[in-house]
Amino acid sequence: MASLLAQAPILIIAIPLVAAFLTPLIGMRGDKARKALVVGSLAFTAFLVFALARDISITGIRVYTLGATAPGLTEPTGFMFPVRIILEVDGMSIFFGIIWAIVSLAAAIYSFSHIASETGQIRFFTLLLLMVAGGFGMMLTGDLFNLFVFLEIASIAGGALIGFRNRFGDTQEGAFKYIVVSAVAGLMVLLGTGILYAQYNSLNMAFLAQAIQYTTLDKIALALFLIAFAMKTGMVPLHLWFPDAYSVAPASITGMLVITSHACMYAAFRVCFTLYGGVIDGLVVGWIIIILGLLTMFVGVTMAVYQKDVMRFMSYHAISQLGYMWVGVGVGLAVLGTPALLAYGRDAMTGGIFHILNHAMYKPLLFFTGGALFYYTGTRDLAKMGGLAHKMKWTTVLYIIGTLSISGIPPLNGFSSKILIYESVFRFNPILTIVGIIVSILTLASFTKAFHSAFMGAELPEYKGGKEVPKSMIIGMVILAAGIVLITLFPSLIVSWALHPAADALIDHGAYINAVMGAVP
Amino acid sequence: MTFIFESGYTFWNPLIWIIVFLVVAIMVYFFRRSGQKGYKKDTDQARIFLSGEEVPEAGERHIRVGNIYWGFFETLKEYYKQMLRIHTGIVNDYMLWFVAVTVVSAIILVVAGLVR
Repeated sequence: MASLLAQAPILIIAIPLVAAFLTPLIGMRGDKARKALVVGSLAFTAFLVFALARDISITGIRVYTLGATAPGLTEPTGFMFPVRIILEVDGMSIFFGIIWAIVSLAAAIYSFSHIASETGQIRFFTLLLLMVAGGFGMMLTGDLFNLFVFLEIASIAGGALIGFRNRFGDTQEGAFKYIVVSAVAGLMVLLGTGILYAQYNSLNMAFLAQAIQYTTLDKIALALFLIAFAMKTGMVPLHLWFPDAYSVAPASITGMLVITSHACMYAAFRVCFTLYGGVIDGLVVGWIIIILGLLTMFVGVTMAVYQKDVMRFMSYHAISQLGYMWVGVGVGLAVLGTPALLAYGRDAMTGGIFHILNHAMYKPLLFFTGGALFYYTGTRDLAKMGGLAHKMKWTTVLYIIGTLSISGIPPLNGFSSKILIYESVFRFNPILTIVGIIVSILTLASFTKAFHSAFMGAELPEYKGGKEVPKSMIIGMVILAAGIVLITLFPSLIVSWALHPAADALIDHGAYINAVMGAVP
Repeated sequence: MTFIFESGYTFWNPLIWIIVFLVVAIMVYFFRRSGQKGYKKDTDQARIFLSGEEVPEAGERHIRVGNIYWGFFETLKEYYKQMLRIHTGIVNDYMLWFVAVTVVSAIILVVAGLVR
């Protein structure tokens, strides 16, 4: 077990990657073998993620150097700086890893029935596993160039999966937009990386964090990183592609795309707090993030109320909720290095990160229920739905759980993170809390509207003959609902075990640097 | 206690809410049980009464998504007009927004550095 744990950082990326390429081979032996491979590889990866998380909570940051005689040997003999590819796993990265492990497993199980009638399932699961590998890579890497590479892997796989149902024109349009946006964002990340490499001769984040001077070029690179990652998360006004792409993908993939947005958010946090943490003008960058975050919350929810397409409706809500996270962490950045950080900044960041965890549970769940509605009715148009609660009892209950959670209704988990954000950002600026509460009210109003349109009312004649969605889809949704219940019941445990270490990992950028640079013989 | 969530000025105990919900659920169940026992399905007892008017079919009486919150949208008509104008669906426009926001952010960062 100890040797397995020692190799865990690379195995977490390698297992889904190898499984992706094995899928076409194993898939030739039939559906069951393919499903066993997909679930087995994802479940084992999830096990490794949890084991690594436990280990990190005890021993601290874990560094893994590829190609070294020992994983902790970050610098080859005779070198003064790291040249090899290094994976660096701290409280923040493993927190995102846990989210990605749970959601990807739930999405894979959900997919078995959701895309059962589609052709090309081998390609689907190959791409799904590649996307998982790309996501884990983004979260665990300690190297800027590899961050770009893993971003590209996740984006290309994601784009192909959005266009998976290629008999529909809108899926191809959505996939095209996603690929264009991802390619441009990826190029900007590469350009930013190039700017830093040209100045400091290294791609290692810990080394760069130590060496960075915050020159004009560094500031331009920061703007490129921040806005490129922000666009990938769907931050307003860069969100326009988001509903076009997310609404047409298979629901299981949309659930995973939400987490790739989180991965890009993680990358933005890593750049701001770790890479630039020692030199950043936190107040200015923090306010840029806060203003764009507020816009994201408000525009996202007001556009969501307006929607009639269930998946576009869900997509706009995903945008809106991402705004809460930006605001929470933005406040933490704005007060970084001041006494206010301890007074309320850390709590604001914890609230923002808590909301990421909650969002990672209820948003894919809601997308899955949207997918279940599409599966049952054959349409995404809410105007054509009604009375579905008569036949889709499981979906109805799971939708209600997701709705109450996203709207921040007590006692669900969405409330815990929102109250933490409201109460902490209030001390920074009360307007942030006021906007947050208004957005929360509009969220509940819009989900009530969608609930009434789809589930309430008398049973419509066109849907009388149907039956509830297949078991694997329900299991996928129940996994996420169970996550919601767990977080609802034990908020304190989650905060102390996962969220405070994650927030502290961002704040203490010196620990991140020392884990790599401190290993000099 | 792990149920209680406390962080300086935030106190939150989900158990209290769950207990309240359970009590309310038990009360609802009790009231429902004390309702009419002689209810018969698929008879006139179960038929909708609309002041003697003919009741429309299920599909016609369901309030569809387009009719909900009409007043809200009417009030914010101008806001939605502008919002929909921005959402062109053209990827070139999306890229223009990206370039504009990146440039503005870079200028703010550089200028703020010069001022401070």
